[in-house]
Amino acid sequence: MNTFKQNFCMSSKSWLLIVVTILGLAFSNWSWAESAQFERSEDNYKIPDVNVVRQDGYKSAFVKELDDGRPVLLNFVFVSCSAICPMLSHVFSKVQEKLTKEGQKFHLMTISIDPENDTPASLTEYAKKFAAGENWSFYTGTREASLTLQKAFKAYRGDKMNHASLILMRSIPGKSWVRLEGFVSPDEVVREFNALGANK
Amino acid sequence: MFMQSPIQQMLGCQILGLLKSRFFFSLLFIFSITVVQADSLSASPEEIELGRRIYLEGVLASGEPLKAVRQNTVQLEGASAACEACHRRSGMGSLEGNIPVPPISGRFLYAPIEDRVLALVDTRQAKDLTRAHVPYDEKSLAKAIRDGMHVSGREMSILMPHYALTDKEIKAVSAYLSQLSVSLSPGVGDDSVHFSTIITPDVDPKKSAVMIDMLRHAFEQRNSSQQTYSGRMRMPLDLIPRKLRNWDLSVWELKGAPDTWGVQLAEFNKKDPVFAVVSGISASTWNPIDQFCQQEKLPCLLPNVISPPENPSYYSLYFSRGVVLEAEVLAGYLTDKEKKAPHRVVQIYRDNEVGMNASRAFTKALAGSEVIVENHVLLGTKQDDLKVAMKGVSSKDSVMLWLNSSDLAVFNKFMAKQVPQNVFVSGYLTSENYSFNSKALNPHLRVVYPYELGDKRKKNVTAMKEWLKSWRLPLVDEPFQTEVFFDALFLTDLTSQMLDNLYRDYLIERAEDMLSLGSNVSAYPHLSLSRGQRFASKGAYIARIGDDGKLVADSAYIVP
Repeated sequence: MNTFKQNFCMSSKSWLLIVVTILGLAFSNWSWAESAQFERSEDNYKIPDVNVVRQDGYKSAFVKELDDGRPVLLNFVFVSCSAICPMLSHVFSKVQEKLTKEGQKFHLMTISIDPENDTPASLTEYAKKFAAGENWSFYTGTREASLTLQKAFKAYRGDKMNHASLILMRSIPGKSWVRLEGFVSPDEVVREFNALGANK
Repeated sequence: MFMQSPIQQMLGCQILGLLKSRFFFSLLFIFSITVVQADSLSASPEEIELGRRIYLEGVLASGEPLKAVRQNTVQLEGASAACEACHRRSGMGSLEGNIPVPPISGRFLYAPIEDRVLALVDTRQAKDLTRAHVPYDEKSLAKAIRDGMHVSGREMSILMPHYALTDKEIKAVSAYLSQLSVSLSPGVGDDSVHFSTIITPDVDPKKSAVMIDMLRHAFEQRNSSQQTYSGRMRMPLDLIPRKLRNWDLSVWELKGAPDTWGVQLAEFNKKDPVFAVVSGISASTWNPIDQFCQQEKLPCLLPNVISPPENPSYYSLYFSRGVVLEAEVLAGYLTDKEKKAPHRVVQIYRDNEVGMNASRAFTKALAGSEVIVENHVLLGTKQDDLKVAMKGVSSKDSVMLWLNSSDLAVFNKFMAKQVPQNVFVSGYLTSENYSFNSKALNPHLRVVYPYELGDKRKKNVTAMKEWLKSWRLPLVDEPFQTEVFFDALFLTDLTSQMLDNLYRDYLIERAEDMLSLGSNVSAYPHLSLSRGQRFASKGAYIARIGDDGKLVADSAYIVP
């Protein structure tokens, strides 16, 4: 995949690459986000059979949580992460606010990639910090379960310290997942969510 | 000043510019430090303090929380808006995934462009080595802080929040940054880095000798190989020039009561300051050492202790929470809804810090459950003392014995005819010595075991075993020695990535970020830290001793 990192110090070869990339984009079916800070793609994932623990201590099969009838927006964070995760969580917080205001049906799912540290109690505290309501759940579980989920959603980067900024969304089971990788604004997430047509 | 050739200008952001002579590098460094220090000297202490509060705590001069906006929509406030949240305490920045948070300490912010100081070499960004830019001044810094505008005129990453700071506040932040991470930390000399390791008086001298021997050999090996770094010339980061500094190790052997250790440590450190404490060993308390590390802002990395402080200081990192972790794991195992919980558990412990901490944690972890915990203290070392401690325990009971192997040998003789239904022992306290076990006891015996088991363990510890062989060092206590081995390896890894930026705060930050990324050569299943996390291994197994005398997992890996 192409990336759109800012590079202020480029060789002529790099310029050529960018021109080619932009031309490529013009003829592709990619949606070019207004801030040009993320990539959008669609994918299908095989949902693994793993158990998770919600922030209130409730244990359940992940697939049951996922397919509970609500359209899903999903991300991966860990509580002690300082830069990317707070930003992702702030985005989810704003998305929650906007979708609630619009009266939409949705389920925000945040999965910990540091499950041995992120206990239900620490996730509860984290949820409070971002004013998470009833449509936003946080999940922990065994390290293996978290790794399996990260791999299933192609979010695994070898270690929690390598994690990427990623938001996934899906309208109903069986439909493709929309994958937004990079820095996405709350408005852009809401726009993508509405484009799923889940609540129409 | 040094003029760049046209080729270098063209490749301004790439490696060629880094390969200047070490002499020139040093001159520029001294020059930039002098300039930066002169700047910070002109600031008043009040100004620097105001800057510190904004940077570290997210508090403004008025006492109001610092506020910022990210992505034009997300409001940040207080500590989450503080600069430290991303640029870290040292100001040296960090790397999250592939997103670099640049260093902003004075040396990086205000240094002339020719001084291409490197903050970090990280295998995750092997080519993206430099953040060189023209020096900031107060005006350009204000634009960066208020509008997210880089000194080069480009917009900064979306991660950089925008702050509506006043001129006075910008000046204060600038004054704070000017003096932040400017001088190398104590213990770092021109051609040496001084470390120490700490031994408390309760430790078996044979065990501490093993640790010292291993550390000395590792240091020797590191010193003799540093000239060639890794010997590789494949990656750009293999070619980065760095100052060669030999490591030396002091052994701080403490004497007397724990309340005198602080004074002894201060004396040691005054006489010969160290950059960090590596490893160390105690069979009792580590609290005075933890407090000393905080007081001196001295990184104390991963000692071999079984009862570390419950709330460690910023500067101390530990392998695990020790016996407290075991207590919580066992409580989790006993109250597992899929099993029948015992009606009563009698815990027997010695009246010392380890025993008290373990038993207290166990009682606390089972509070509110259906399991009744009864506490029995073992006084003395004779069989009669054990008889007193075991009073009222029947074969229907479960017992948790917070005892070492020699106490357990006496216990087994005493209990031979009436073994309680379940006998739990501590993996940390028994230190791989199960000579107390017997045919009668074995079916009832379970070990709360914080280390890895089976083939995975074998794989993890192979490197250490081979290393010991190569130095003809004995293998006497595998988990303990893997901790020492891990420490030595981890330290070489950390410091080589830090290049010449040998600041104590930066060492802790790198340790937090990098621990899970290196090779796990320890006996623990996996090790991981992050900001604010102080215990690297977070769970344990309940294990039994199999027919071949080896431990086998009797539970999944339990993380309380």
